[in-house]
Amino acid sequence: MKIARHSFLEAGARTRVRGLLDAGTFREFCGPLARRTSPHLPLLDMPVAFDDGVVVGEGLLAGRPVLIAAQEGSFMGGSVGEVHGAKLTGLIERALDVRPDGVILLIDSGGVRLQEANAGLIAMGEIQRAVLAVRAAGIPVIVAIGGRNGCYGGMSIIARSCDWIVISEEGRLSISGPEVIEAVEGVEEFDSRDRALVWRTMGGKHRRLLGEADALVADGMDAFRDAIAGYLGRSRAHDLDSLETEQARLEARVTRFAECRDGVDVWAALGVDAPERVPELEPDAFNRLLGTLEETSR
Amino acid sequence: MGDSGTAIDGAVRDWGTLRERYCARMQRGAALAKDKVVAPDDVVALLEAVIEPGDRLCIEGNNQKHADFLAECLAEVSPERVHDLHIIQSNIALAPHLDVFERGIAERLDFCYSGPQGLRLSRLVKEGRLKVGAIHTYLELYGRYFCDLTPNVSFIAADAADHEGNLYTGPNTEDTPAIVEATAFKSGILIAQVNRIVDRVPRVDVPGDWVSFVVEAPRPYYIEPIFTRDPAAITEVQILMAMMVIRGIYEKYGVARLNHGIGFDTAAIELILPTYAADLGLRGKICKYMSVNPCPTLIPAIESGFVEGIHCAGSELGMENYVSERSDVFFTGRDGSMRSNRIFCQIAGHYSDLFIGSTLQIDLEGNSSTATLSRITGFGGAPNFGSESRARRHGSESWLMAGREAHRGNGMPRGRKLVVQIVESFREGLSSTFVERLDAWKLQESFGLPLPPVMVYGDDLTHIVTEEGIANLLLCDGPEEREQAIRGVAGYTEVGMARDPEMVRRLRAKGAVSYPEDLGVDKRLATRDLLAARSIKDLVRWSGGLYDPPARFRNW
Repeated sequence: MKIARHSFLEAGARTRVRGLLDAGTFREFCGPLARRTSPHLPLLDMPVAFDDGVVVGEGLLAGRPVLIAAQEGSFMGGSVGEVHGAKLTGLIERALDVRPDGVILLIDSGGVRLQEANAGLIAMGEIQRAVLAVRAAGIPVIVAIGGRNGCYGGMSIIARSCDWIVISEEGRLSISGPEVIEAVEGVEEFDSRDRALVWRTMGGKHRRLLGEADALVADGMDAFRDAIAGYLGRSRAHDLDSLETEQARLEARVTRFAECRDGVDVWAALGVDAPERVPELEPDAFNRLLGTLEETSR
Repeated sequence: MGDSGTAIDGAVRDWGTLRERYCARMQRGAALAKDKVVAPDDVVALLEAVIEPGDRLCIEGNNQKHADFLAECLAEVSPERVHDLHIIQSNIALAPHLDVFERGIAERLDFCYSGPQGLRLSRLVKEGRLKVGAIHTYLELYGRYFCDLTPNVSFIAADAADHEGNLYTGPNTEDTPAIVEATAFKSGILIAQVNRIVDRVPRVDVPGDWVSFVVEAPRPYYIEPIFTRDPAAITEVQILMAMMVIRGIYEKYGVARLNHGIGFDTAAIELILPTYAADLGLRGKICKYMSVNPCPTLIPAIESGFVEGIHCAGSELGMENYVSERSDVFFTGRDGSMRSNRIFCQIAGHYSDLFIGSTLQIDLEGNSSTATLSRITGFGGAPNFGSESRARRHGSESWLMAGREAHRGNGMPRGRKLVVQIVESFREGLSSTFVERLDAWKLQESFGLPLPPVMVYGDDLTHIVTEEGIANLLLCDGPEEREQAIRGVAGYTEVGMARDPEMVRRLRAKGAVSYPEDLGVDKRLATRDLLAARSIKDLVRWSGGLYDPPARFRNW
C-alpha cells in the first residue's frame, strides 16, 4: 500500500511548480510583489488575487531550461481574465526569444472568467496564437492536467492546440462542464451528480483511450515530472498533413462511437476486455492495457 | 388461570384484550393476504383493515434503511378510517413520515432524529398539527417500546422473506430487533416490506412466526450512504486536532475500547492512525476495539493492524464485500454478511473507555447541543455514547486513570469514562461554537419542551479538544476553573477572548489546559501528507478493491 505523499491534485500552483522543477531554480515573473491584479473585479465588488490566479516563470526541469505556468485553481476556479491571460501569453511568447527545451502549462481551469467575459475571450485567442507561433518555431508546448477544476472551456481548446498532454486519472478534459451539459440538455442527457459517469466520459483515462491525451500518470509530483521530462525537446508535426489526418480521425470517431452513451460503451467498442473495470485500474495496469490495444485511436 | 379474573371492585376483568384485538385485526387483514404475503396494490387496504384509531405505530427507518414503501402507503390511507395515530419511531427522514400529520392521520410523535425533515417538523409543531412527546435517544426510545410506548403496529424493512415469513434483514439490522421483539411479543401487528421473496432465506434474522404480513415492495428499500466521509475534504486544522487527541488522550490514557462519532474530525483521527500513531509506536496499544458503523475511513487502520474488532449499529453502502472478507474484525453471520444491531452496539459504546464526537454549541459548563434555533433535528446516538455510565465497574487502565483524575484520592476509588468533544472554535458562517448560553434554552421555550434539548451534559464531559488545545475538565476544581479551562481553548471567539490569562496559566501548569507544545505535538507536521488515505480512491486501494463506493463519491 503506497499513497503519494506529494499529491499534484491537492497542491496549489506554487507547490506544483516547486514540486516539478529542480530545487531552487524557479524564477517567477510578475511575482506577488508586483501585484498585477484584475482591473475588472473591483468594479464588481469582487476580491482580487495578487497574481490574478496564475504563476509564470522559468527554471530547470531535469536539468533542462523550461518556461512554466501554473493556474491557481482555488482562485475563481483557475479562470482566465485579462491579466491572467496576458501573463500566459507573455510567458509563451517569451519562448521565441529564449528558446527553452519546452513550455509547460499546468492547467487547472474552468475556462474564461465570466466576470471578464470579453477580455477573457480575447485572451484565449491570444494564448492560442502564441502557442501556435511557439510550436511553429519547433519548441514543444506541454500541458499537464491533474487539478480539481480539470481543463474546460477555452482552456480545453488551448490544451488541444499544444504538442503534448499529460493527465492523471483525477484530471478531466472537456469543452463543456457536466453542469453546463445538464443545464442545456437535461438530466436525462447527462447527470452531473453521477460523478463516476463524469469521470468515465471526461476523466483522464477516457481521454487517454480516445487519444486526446498522450500520457496517463498517477497523481504525484514525481509521475508528472517524469512524463513531462520525456517530452522536452520533442516537437510534434503541426502542418497541413497532420491537420488533415487529425480531421479524418475525428470524423471516423464521430461515426464509430455515435451510438455510445457512456465511456464504458466506447471502451467496449475499442476492444477493451472487461471495460467496466477500467476505472478501477491503477495507472500501470491501465498503461499496460493501452499497450495491448491496437493503435486505433491517435 | 384464564383470560379473565376478578378485579378489586368485583367486576370481571378481561386480561386478554390485546390478544383478542390482535386476532380480530389478523382476521380482517387475512382477507387481503395469501398465507402471509400481500400484493403491493393491496397494502393501503391492508393498513386500513389492521390499524385502529389511536394506535401506537412504528415505521422502521434510521439513518440508512427505511421501510419507505410502507411509509408511503400509510400516508395514503383514509383519515376517516385511520386517525389519531401516535407515531413512535426513531427517525423522521422521509416526506411521508410527516405527510401523515399533514393529512390528519397521526397527531402525536415520539422520535430520536429528524435530519432533512427538521424544518418541516418545526413548522408542523407551530401549526399545532403535530404534538411532540419527547426527543429521545435511541436507547431511551427502545426502552420505552418495552415500557409505556409498545407499538400496536410496526412496519419493518428486510432484504428477503420466504413464504413462511422468515426474514433476512441483510447487513443493516439497526432498529429491527427492538421493534420486532416489542411488537411481536405484545400482540402487535408486524408488517415487513422486503426486496424479494425467495424459497429459502440466506439466514433467518427474524423467525416467520413473529411476522404478521409480508409484502414484496415495488423497489428495494431506500438506503443512504450516510457514514462515508471523503478524505479529500479533511483539513489541516482537523489533522492538528487529531494529532492532539492521539497524544493527549489516546496515548495518555491507553484508550483501547472506544466509539467514534461520524464527522470529519474523527475521520481525521482514523486516517492518521497508520501514520502518526504508528510512528509513535501505538499499534496494539490504542483503538483496538470500536463500536461504530463500518465507516470507510476505518479501512487503513484495520488493514494496518490497529483496529482488531468492530461492532456496528448499522451498515454502510459499498462496504458489504469488505466487511464480509474481514470476519475476524466485524460480526458476520454464517452466510458471510454483517449482522449489525443498534442496541448492542450502543450498549458496547456505552461501556467503552471513550466516546469522541462533535457538536454545534458548547456552553461554559460544558453542556453541548446540536439543536439550533430553526431546526429540531434530535441527536441520534451521541447522547448514549457520550454519557458517562456510572454503573460500569471494571478495571481497564484508561477507566481507572480517568477515575483517579476525577476523584484525586477523595472517597471510594471509582473509574470514569472519557467523553470528548472535538470542535473548531468557529463553525460555518463564523458563528462561535462556544457560547455563554445554548440556543437550547430558547428552543425549550418556543416548542414547549420539558427540558432544554442538551446532547451531552457538561458533567458527563471530560475533555474538549479544539484547534487551540485540550481542556481536561477532570482536573478542574469547581465551576470557575471549568469555565476558565473552556475559555482557555476557545480560541478567538468572544468566550475565548474573555479568559482570565492568569488562571488559564495556572490551569495549564496543572494539566487542565494543554496546548500542542505541552502535548509533544509538532504543529508543522499537521498537513494532509499525514493522512493514510487522501481520497476515496485511496480507500479503495487500501481495501484491495473490496470497498465499492457509491457513484457520488467517485472521481475516477
